[in-house]
Amino acid sequence: MTEPCVECVALAVEIAGRRIVDGVSLRAEPGQVVAVVGPNGAGKTTLLRALAGLVASTGGLRVAGEDPRAAPAGAAARRRAYCAQQPVSAWDYRVRDLGEIAQAAAFADRLAELGLAELADRRLSRLSGGERKAAHLAMTLAAVGEPYGALLVLDEPTASLDLARQALVAAAIRGFVRAGGAAVVATHDLAYARACETVVVLAEGRAVGLGAPPAALTPVVVAATWGAAVPAGA
Amino acid sequence: MTATRATLAGLAGLAALVALALAVGAQGFGWGDGGAWALLRAPRVLAALAAGLALGVGGAAQQGVFRNPLADPGLTGVFGGALFGLALLLGAAPETAWRHAWLLPAAAFAGALGSSALLVLCGRGGSSARLLLTGLGLNAFTAAGTLVIAARSGESRELLTNGAYGDWLGMATFELTWLPALLCLAATLLLLPKARALDLLAFGDDAARGFGADVAGVRRDAVLLTALAAAAATCLVGQVAFIGLLAPHLARALVGPRHAAVLPGSALLGGALLLVADTLGRGLWAEAPLSAAAVTAVLGAPLFIWIARSQHD
Repeated sequence: MTEPCVECVALAVEIAGRRIVDGVSLRAEPGQVVAVVGPNGAGKTTLLRALAGLVASTGGLRVAGEDPRAAPAGAAARRRAYCAQQPVSAWDYRVRDLGEIAQAAAFADRLAELGLAELADRRLSRLSGGERKAAHLAMTLAAVGEPYGALLVLDEPTASLDLARQALVAAAIRGFVRAGGAAVVATHDLAYARACETVVVLAEGRAVGLGAPPAALTPVVVAATWGAAVPAGA
Repeated sequence: MTATRATLAGLAGLAALVALALAVGAQGFGWGDGGAWALLRAPRVLAALAAGLALGVGGAAQQGVFRNPLADPGLTGVFGGALFGLALLLGAAPETAWRHAWLLPAAAFAGALGSSALLVLCGRGGSSARLLLTGLGLNAFTAAGTLVIAARSGESRELLTNGAYGDWLGMATFELTWLPALLCLAATLLLLPKARALDLLAFGDDAARGFGADVAGVRRDAVLLTALAAAAATCLVGQVAFIGLLAPHLARALVGPRHAAVLPGSALLGGALLLVADTLGRGLWAEAPLSAAAVTAVLGAPLFIWIARSQHD
């Protein structure tokens, strides 16, 4: 059996006495994208932060062969990359600075993949919201030197992007996993989720659906999770 | 302009300012009688330069740690803490304080650390407003504490009052200056290698850790070294606001926001600003010299208001 890029067993996160993530188990091998879906407040972001080793958690967790909670920050950075839903920057860097700060040799390539090649000399403040998000995604993708066996953790990477750039981002994620990595992607886009290898449906911190898209996103699960407002086939 | 050329240009400019500062005296322009430039002015120039370096780099580091362009050890109460530490020592044991060269810087460091700890506990992770309000409270408390101690300690009264007005450069001697100046230089040099980690911190704790920064470690180091810089600078000048605010802003405007350029740039600009302020203060009105802090406040306050106005919280 292939070594998974990420595997967690009964992962749980408790913040201020509240269980935000409650016993989630998932696994992704090289070449797989896992979509994490669920309503606002279901615990998607916290699950992703836990997988990236950024928040204290209990339960089993292995990312690229080691427990990110125990690995030194510098070593873990080359094996998994995390991009927040709304990346921020306190200072008005130029786009190309992001690659230098992440010490990412492949930054220019990732930038080109996301359609930002000609914006490398722009300051972040001179980009649109979508362009800025894509620049941070390029930084995240480039930070992992070698995709093989590595994990990409992306929190709603396509939110606030126009349709063309959504497609570019989806293609970049696909390219990363084709090169032997895996990705865990939180999204509200059920159509995108259905195109992934695995879907985790989160509700109140629990995985109420898990598996290949047809098995995870059944009409019953969709109705129970989002209510009648969402058509079962969405 | 490459980084090396910018640094060389900065150093050359600073050297010219040093020469100018040494040549300005109470009797006007010239080297003065009996080697006045070496005996009287050199320690003062050294003190202004070293304190300015530390204030500049300390401001840039504090802004980096708090991701806040309004952070400045003068405004966030760290200088206030340093002076309060000095006041506590001078009030409690004035004779002992002068007996050992390291005692005054140590007391200032303890005070600056106390303020920094409270600032980190109360002001971190919040808005600019929370950070600055915490600083406002710390400043008010430490200033009041310093003045209370000053009022009750006969012999240190004038000394502490002058310190609160940033008017200590005039009493600089090599004997008083060498250790704090050395500490200023040490804090500056130790902060320079934190550039990449401070760059990463700009993206938030999660992203910084994701990209491999030891967030807790760099924050601790930067807070400690900023407290050291503030303490050592306070021992030389007393309280000076605005250098730690002005220098990083000018540096960012000149060399961009990367900390590898901002930290050294801010240090050099801080040194230059304090040197110019002190030289102007004693050169323009020789009969009634102004303190360096008064000159920097006159120049810095309008800029502070302008920066605050351009903030989008």
